[in-house]
Amino acid sequence: MSQLASLSEELANFIERQIQLLGKFEVEAVIVGGVAATLHGSEIPTTDLDVCYSRKSENLQKLAAALQSVHARLRNAPEDLPFRLDAETLKSGLNFTFTTDIGNLDLLGEVRGLGYYEDVLPGSLVFELFGYAFPIVDLAKLIVAKRTAGRAKAMVAVAELEALLERQTRLDES
Amino acid sequence: MSPEEEDYFLNPPPGSAAARAVEFGIDLTLTLENLRLTPEARIRKLDDHLIGIAKLKASAKLLGRIDESTRKSE
Repeated sequence: MSQLASLSEELANFIERQIQLLGKFEVEAVIVGGVAATLHGSEIPTTDLDVCYSRKSENLQKLAAALQSVHARLRNAPEDLPFRLDAETLKSGLNFTFTTDIGNLDLLGEVRGLGYYEDVLPGSLVFELFGYAFPIVDLAKLIVAKRTAGRAKAMVAVAELEALLERQTRLDES
Repeated sequence: MSPEEEDYFLNPPPGSAAARAVEFGIDLTLTLENLRLTPEARIRKLDDHLIGIAKLKASAKLLGRIDESTRKSE
């Protein structure tokens, strides 16, 4: 197999597989960030999946099991940094950036500007994705989160998301 | 998608969020293309994009730089 063909296989459907992973392990989480923007219609590409997860003990157990199954490790951390991936560790932290066998996965206990899972979930749209039902953060809340992040990249996304929100509002009114 | 819905992005009304997005440099025709896809197809397009970028990076080889004097000698 050529090097490029093997690369395709390695990278195939990372985001799809991440969504299936969380669905398979029945993790309670809301999709936020760039993938949520894509699902709302944004054309701005993103490279990783961001989810805001419930911090209930049972959910942390499921999340730890899901992460272990794809050999998750902290992104940009020294290789020799001791890190035990279990519910206890997830409980003692809040926001984590992981690299896994199926790409980068960011777990947010709190989304700046929005709050915790219990704050982000209300109003979310539930999509069926690859066989699983997943809540996607509401467009208006996504705009608040992007604005709060304040990064230049996020501000470009805000301009497009506001156009999508205005379009949606006009459709709801007509 | 109705022609009216498409028209909002193709000919944004002055002062609308769509008009501001265009001023910001967003190509709303691409957004419109995405809206025509199903949610799963939007994710798959993203995944295909990731593969495409990785392939591009893996296959790109810097061959050198064109000599600055080339233009002068033309």
